[in-house]
Amino acid sequence: MEIQTTVYSIIIVTIFILLLMVFVNYKLRKYDPLTKPKGIVLLVMMGIQAIENMTKDATNEKVAKQISPYIFTVIIYIFLANISGLFSIESPTSNFSVTLVLAAITCILIEIFAIKENGVKKYLLGYFEPFAPMIVINLISKVSTLMSLSLRLFGNVIAGSVLMSVIYQLLASISSAIPLVGNINIIAIVVAPALHFYFDLFSGAIQAYVFTMLTISFIGKELPSQEN
Amino acid sequence: MERGLIAIATAISVLAGCTTGIGEGRVFASAVEAMGKNPDAASKIRSMAIIGAAISETCAIYGLLIAFMLFSKI
Repeated sequence: MEIQTTVYSIIIVTIFILLLMVFVNYKLRKYDPLTKPKGIVLLVMMGIQAIENMTKDATNEKVAKQISPYIFTVIIYIFLANISGLFSIESPTSNFSVTLVLAAITCILIEIFAIKENGVKKYLLGYFEPFAPMIVINLISKVSTLMSLSLRLFGNVIAGSVLMSVIYQLLASISSAIPLVGNINIIAIVVAPALHFYFDLFSGAIQAYVFTMLTISFIGKELPSQEN
Repeated sequence: MERGLIAIATAISVLAGCTTGIGEGRVFASAVEAMGKNPDAASKIRSMAIIGAAISETCAIYGLLIAFMLFSKI
Protein backbone atom coordinates (compact mmCIF):
# COMPACT_ATOMS: atom_id res chain seq x y z
CA MET A 1 0.00 0.00 0.00
CA GLU A 2 1.23 3.46 -0.84
CA ILE A 3 1.86 5.85 2.06
CA GLN A 4 0.76 9.45 1.51
CA THR A 5 3.52 12.02 1.90
CA THR A 6 1.46 14.02 4.41
CA VAL A 7 1.79 11.14 6.90
CA TYR A 8 5.46 12.03 7.38
CA SER A 9 4.67 15.71 7.95
CA ILE A 10 1.95 14.76 10.46
CA ILE A 11 4.57 12.78 12.39
CA ILE A 12 7.11 15.63 12.17
CA VAL A 13 4.60 18.24 13.39
CA THR A 14 3.42 15.96 16.21
CA ILE A 15 6.99 15.32 17.40
CA PHE A 16 7.71 19.05 17.22
CA ILE A 17 4.65 19.87 19.35
CA LEU A 18 5.63 17.14 21.82
CA LEU A 19 9.14 18.57 22.19
CA LEU A 20 7.73 22.09 22.50
CA MET A 21 5.40 20.99 25.29
CA VAL A 22 8.20 19.21 27.17
CA PHE A 23 10.32 22.35 26.85
CA VAL A 24 7.51 24.65 28.05
CA ASN A 25 6.78 22.28 30.94
CA TYR A 26 10.46 22.38 31.96
CA LYS A 27 10.48 26.20 31.77
CA LEU A 28 7.25 26.50 33.77
CA ARG A 29 8.54 24.19 36.50
CA LYS A 30 11.67 26.30 36.83
CA TYR A 31 9.67 29.55 36.87
CA ASP A 32 9.46 31.38 40.20
CA PRO A 33 5.93 32.82 40.61
CA LEU A 34 7.24 35.84 42.52
CA THR A 35 9.33 37.16 39.63
CA LYS A 36 8.25 38.79 36.38
CA PRO A 37 7.51 36.21 33.65
CA LYS A 38 9.56 36.60 30.47
CA GLY A 39 10.30 34.81 27.23
CA ILE A 40 8.27 31.72 26.46
CA VAL A 41 6.63 31.64 29.91
CA LEU A 42 5.12 35.08 29.29
CA LEU A 43 3.98 34.01 25.81
CA VAL A 44 2.24 30.89 27.14
CA MET A 45 0.57 32.87 29.94
CA MET A 46 -0.72 35.48 27.52
CA GLY A 47 -2.01 32.75 25.21
CA ILE A 48 -3.87 30.96 27.98
CA GLN A 49 -5.38 34.22 29.19
CA ALA A 50 -6.52 35.20 25.69
CA ILE A 51 -8.11 31.79 25.09
CA GLU A 52 -9.90 31.87 28.46
CA ASN A 53 -11.31 35.33 27.73
CA MET A 54 -12.40 34.19 24.28
CA THR A 55 -14.24 31.13 25.63
CA LYS A 56 -15.80 33.05 28.52
CA ASP A 57 -17.30 35.58 26.11
CA ALA A 58 -19.17 32.95 24.12
CA THR A 59 -20.03 30.37 26.79
CA ASN A 60 -20.48 30.35 30.55
CA GLU A 61 -17.78 30.13 33.23
CA LYS A 62 -18.04 26.37 33.83
CA VAL A 63 -17.97 25.29 30.18
CA ALA A 64 -15.16 27.76 29.44
CA LYS A 65 -12.94 25.99 31.96
CA GLN A 66 -13.67 22.61 30.39
CA ILE A 67 -13.12 23.49 26.74
CA SER A 68 -10.27 26.00 26.86
CA PRO A 69 -7.50 23.28 27.03
CA TYR A 70 -8.95 21.66 23.91
CA ILE A 71 -9.25 25.02 22.16
CA PHE A 72 -5.63 25.92 22.96
CA THR A 73 -4.40 22.53 21.71
CA VAL A 74 -6.34 22.83 18.47
CA ILE A 75 -5.21 26.39 17.79
CA ILE A 76 -1.54 25.42 18.29
CA TYR A 77 -1.87 22.30 16.15
CA ILE A 78 -3.68 24.00 13.24
CA PHE A 79 -1.37 27.02 13.29
CA LEU A 80 1.81 24.91 13.26
CA ALA A 81 0.33 22.59 10.64
CA ASN A 82 -0.59 25.53 8.40
CA ILE A 83 2.79 27.25 8.61
CA SER A 84 4.71 24.00 8.08
CA GLY A 85 4.67 24.88 4.37
CA LEU A 86 7.37 27.44 5.22
CA PHE A 87 9.71 24.61 6.24
CA SER A 88 9.19 22.85 2.89
CA ILE A 89 7.18 19.95 4.33
CA GLU A 90 3.70 19.30 3.05
CA SER A 91 1.11 20.78 5.40
CA PRO A 92 -0.76 18.10 7.43
CA THR A 93 -3.99 20.06 7.03
CA SER A 94 -3.76 19.59 3.24
CA ASN A 95 -4.83 16.00 3.93
CA PHE A 96 -8.61 15.80 4.16
CA SER A 97 -8.51 13.06 6.82
CA VAL A 98 -6.78 15.39 9.29
CA THR A 99 -9.29 18.22 8.93
CA LEU A 100 -12.19 15.75 8.96
CA VAL A 101 -10.96 14.30 12.26
CA LEU A 102 -10.55 17.77 13.77
CA ALA A 103 -14.07 18.75 12.67
CA ALA A 104 -15.45 15.42 13.94
CA ILE A 105 -13.95 16.02 17.40
CA THR A 106 -15.60 19.45 17.42
CA CYS A 107 -18.98 18.01 16.36
CA ILE A 108 -18.86 15.29 19.02
CA LEU A 109 -17.98 17.93 21.64
CA ILE A 110 -20.96 20.05 20.53
CA GLU A 111 -23.30 17.08 20.97
CA ILE A 112 -21.77 16.15 24.36
CA PHE A 113 -22.22 19.66 25.69
CA ALA A 114 -25.74 19.87 24.28
CA ILE A 115 -26.70 16.66 26.11
CA LYS A 116 -24.90 17.60 29.33
CA GLU A 117 -26.36 21.09 29.60
CA ASN A 118 -29.92 20.38 28.44
CA GLY A 119 -30.55 16.82 29.59
CA VAL A 120 -31.28 13.85 27.30
CA LYS A 121 -35.02 14.48 27.00
CA LYS A 122 -34.75 18.13 26.04
CA TYR A 123 -31.88 17.31 23.66
CA LEU A 124 -33.92 14.69 21.81
CA LEU A 125 -36.97 16.96 21.71
CA GLY A 126 -34.76 19.67 20.22
CA TYR A 127 -34.67 17.69 16.98
CA PHE A 128 -38.44 18.19 16.56
CA GLU A 129 -38.27 21.97 16.91
CA PRO A 130 -40.15 24.01 15.70
CA PHE A 131 -42.43 21.19 14.41
CA ALA A 132 -42.04 17.43 13.86
CA PRO A 133 -41.13 17.13 10.12
CA MET A 134 -38.20 19.50 10.71
CA ILE A 135 -36.20 16.51 12.01
CA VAL A 136 -34.87 15.94 8.47
CA ILE A 137 -33.55 19.48 8.20
CA ASN A 138 -32.13 19.39 11.73
CA LEU A 139 -30.23 16.18 10.94
CA ILE A 140 -28.90 17.67 7.70
CA SER A 141 -27.71 20.74 9.59
CA LYS A 142 -25.69 18.49 11.94
CA VAL A 143 -23.88 16.91 8.99
CA SER A 144 -23.38 20.24 7.25
CA THR A 145 -21.54 21.60 10.30
CA LEU A 146 -19.05 18.75 9.98
CA MET A 147 -18.64 19.21 6.23
CA SER A 148 -18.31 23.00 6.29
CA LEU A 149 -15.82 23.04 9.17
CA SER A 150 -13.56 20.42 7.61
CA LEU A 151 -13.84 21.63 4.02
CA ARG A 152 -13.18 25.28 4.97
CA LEU A 153 -9.81 24.46 6.53
CA PHE A 154 -8.87 21.86 3.91
CA GLY A 155 -9.90 24.08 0.99
CA ASN A 156 -7.97 27.09 2.22
CA VAL A 157 -4.78 25.15 2.82
CA ILE A 158 -4.90 23.11 -0.40
CA ALA A 159 -5.75 26.21 -2.46
CA GLY A 160 -2.75 28.04 -0.97
CA SER A 161 -0.34 25.19 -1.59
CA VAL A 162 -1.56 24.51 -5.15
CA LEU A 163 -1.39 28.23 -6.03
CA MET A 164 2.15 28.41 -4.60
CA SER A 165 3.34 25.47 -6.69
CA VAL A 166 1.72 26.94 -9.82
CA ILE A 167 3.39 30.31 -9.16
CA TYR A 168 6.78 28.62 -8.62
CA GLN A 169 6.46 26.86 -11.99
CA LEU A 170 5.45 30.11 -13.71
CA LEU A 171 8.36 32.03 -12.20
CA ALA A 172 10.78 29.24 -13.12
CA SER A 173 9.66 29.34 -16.73
CA ILE A 174 9.99 33.16 -16.81
CA SER A 175 13.44 33.20 -15.24
CA SER A 176 14.69 30.46 -17.57
CA ALA A 177 14.51 33.11 -20.34
CA ILE A 178 17.15 35.21 -18.57
CA PRO A 179 20.61 34.51 -20.02
CA LEU A 180 23.53 33.21 -17.88
CA VAL A 181 21.53 32.51 -14.69
CA GLY A 182 18.61 30.82 -16.48
CA ASN A 183 18.58 27.58 -14.50
CA ILE A 184 18.42 29.35 -11.13
CA ASN A 185 14.89 30.47 -10.26
CA ILE A 186 15.99 34.06 -9.60
CA ILE A 187 12.60 35.85 -9.80
CA ALA A 188 11.09 33.50 -7.22
CA ILE A 189 13.66 34.64 -4.64
CA VAL A 190 12.19 38.16 -4.90
CA VAL A 191 8.50 37.37 -5.35
CA ALA A 192 7.89 34.21 -3.29
CA PRO A 193 8.50 35.51 0.28
CA ALA A 194 5.57 37.95 0.11
CA LEU A 195 3.28 35.20 -1.21
CA HIS A 196 4.51 32.78 1.45
CA PHE A 197 3.73 35.43 4.03
CA TYR A 198 0.16 35.70 2.79
CA PHE A 199 -0.66 32.06 1.99
CA ASP A 200 1.20 30.36 4.86
CA LEU A 201 1.49 32.79 7.76
CA PHE A 202 -1.51 35.13 7.38
CA SER A 203 -4.00 32.67 5.96
CA GLY A 204 -2.82 29.93 8.31
CA ALA A 205 -3.23 32.09 11.41
CA ILE A 206 -6.65 33.35 10.27
CA GLN A 207 -7.89 29.83 9.54
CA ALA A 208 -6.71 28.53 12.93
CA TYR A 209 -8.50 31.45 14.58
CA VAL A 210 -11.68 30.97 12.54
CA PHE A 211 -11.79 27.23 13.25
CA THR A 212 -11.51 27.73 17.01
CA MET A 213 -13.92 30.69 17.05
CA LEU A 214 -16.52 28.62 15.23
CA THR A 215 -15.97 25.70 17.62
CA ILE A 216 -16.50 27.98 20.61
CA SER A 217 -19.56 29.70 19.19
CA PHE A 218 -21.17 26.40 18.10
CA ILE A 219 -20.74 25.06 21.63
CA GLY A 220 -22.04 28.35 23.06
CA LYS A 221 -25.10 28.15 20.81
CA GLU A 222 -26.13 24.78 22.33
CA LEU A 223 -26.07 26.05 25.90
CA PRO A 224 -29.33 27.19 27.51
CA SER A 225 -29.65 30.99 27.43
CA GLN A 226 -27.83 32.60 30.34
CA GLU A 227 -29.73 34.28 33.13
CA ASN A 228 -29.08 37.98 33.48
CA MET B 1 -15.06 17.19 -27.01
CA GLU B 2 -15.24 15.87 -23.46
CA ARG B 3 -12.04 17.64 -22.45
CA GLY B 4 -13.42 20.91 -23.75
CA LEU B 5 -16.60 20.50 -21.71
CA ILE B 6 -14.55 19.79 -18.56
CA ALA B 7 -12.52 22.94 -19.23
CA ILE B 8 -15.70 25.01 -19.55
CA ALA B 9 -17.07 23.48 -16.32
CA THR B 10 -13.82 24.35 -14.54
CA ALA B 11 -14.14 27.96 -15.65
CA ILE B 12 -17.77 28.12 -14.50
CA SER B 13 -16.95 26.72 -11.05
CA VAL B 14 -14.39 29.48 -10.49
CA LEU B 15 -17.22 31.99 -11.11
CA ALA B 16 -18.15 31.45 -7.43
CA GLY B 17 -15.37 33.93 -6.77
CA CYS B 18 -16.99 36.94 -8.43
CA THR B 19 -19.94 37.24 -6.06
CA THR B 20 -17.69 36.45 -3.10
CA GLY B 21 -15.62 39.48 -4.05
CA ILE B 22 -18.70 41.68 -3.73
CA GLY B 23 -19.57 40.08 -0.38
CA GLU B 24 -16.11 40.57 1.07
CA GLY B 25 -16.09 44.15 -0.12
CA ARG B 26 -19.36 44.73 1.73
CA VAL B 27 -17.91 43.20 4.90
CA PHE B 28 -14.99 45.61 4.93
CA ALA B 29 -17.11 48.57 3.83
CA SER B 30 -19.37 48.06 6.84
CA ALA B 31 -16.33 47.54 9.08
CA VAL B 32 -14.76 50.82 7.98
CA GLU B 33 -18.07 52.60 8.47
CA ALA B 34 -18.42 51.18 11.98
CA MET B 35 -14.84 52.16 12.80
CA GLY B 36 -15.53 55.71 11.68
CA LYS B 37 -18.59 55.91 13.91
CA ASN B 38 -16.92 54.22 16.88
CA PRO B 39 -13.11 54.53 16.77
CA ASP B 40 -12.66 53.12 20.30
CA ALA B 41 -13.91 49.68 19.24
CA ALA B 42 -11.61 49.56 16.19
CA SER B 43 -9.59 46.51 17.30
CA LYS B 44 -12.73 44.46 18.07
CA ILE B 45 -14.35 45.44 14.79
CA ARG B 46 -11.18 44.55 12.89
CA SER B 47 -11.06 41.01 14.26
CA MET B 48 -14.77 40.51 13.61
CA ALA B 49 -14.35 41.80 10.05
CA ILE B 50 -11.49 39.40 9.37
CA ILE B 51 -13.57 36.47 10.64
CA GLY B 52 -16.48 37.59 8.46
CA ALA B 53 -14.26 37.87 5.43
CA ALA B 54 -12.72 34.44 6.08
CA ILE B 55 -16.13 32.81 6.39
CA SER B 56 -17.53 34.42 3.26
CA GLU B 57 -14.32 33.52 1.45
CA THR B 58 -15.13 29.86 2.07
CA CYS B 59 -17.72 30.02 -0.69
CA ALA B 60 -15.09 30.96 -3.24
CA ILE B 61 -12.77 28.29 -1.84
CA TYR B 62 -15.42 25.62 -2.48
CA GLY B 63 -15.58 26.73 -6.10
CA LEU B 64 -11.80 26.67 -6.35
CA LEU B 65 -11.69 23.16 -4.85
CA ILE B 66 -14.15 21.88 -7.44
CA ALA B 67 -12.12 23.63 -10.13
CA PHE B 68 -8.96 21.83 -8.99
CA MET B 69 -10.79 18.49 -8.91
CA LEU B 70 -12.10 19.03 -12.45
CA PHE B 71 -8.75 20.37 -13.65
CA SER B 72 -7.01 17.12 -12.73
CA LYS B 73 -9.45 15.25 -15.03
CA ILE B 74 -8.62 17.21 -18.20
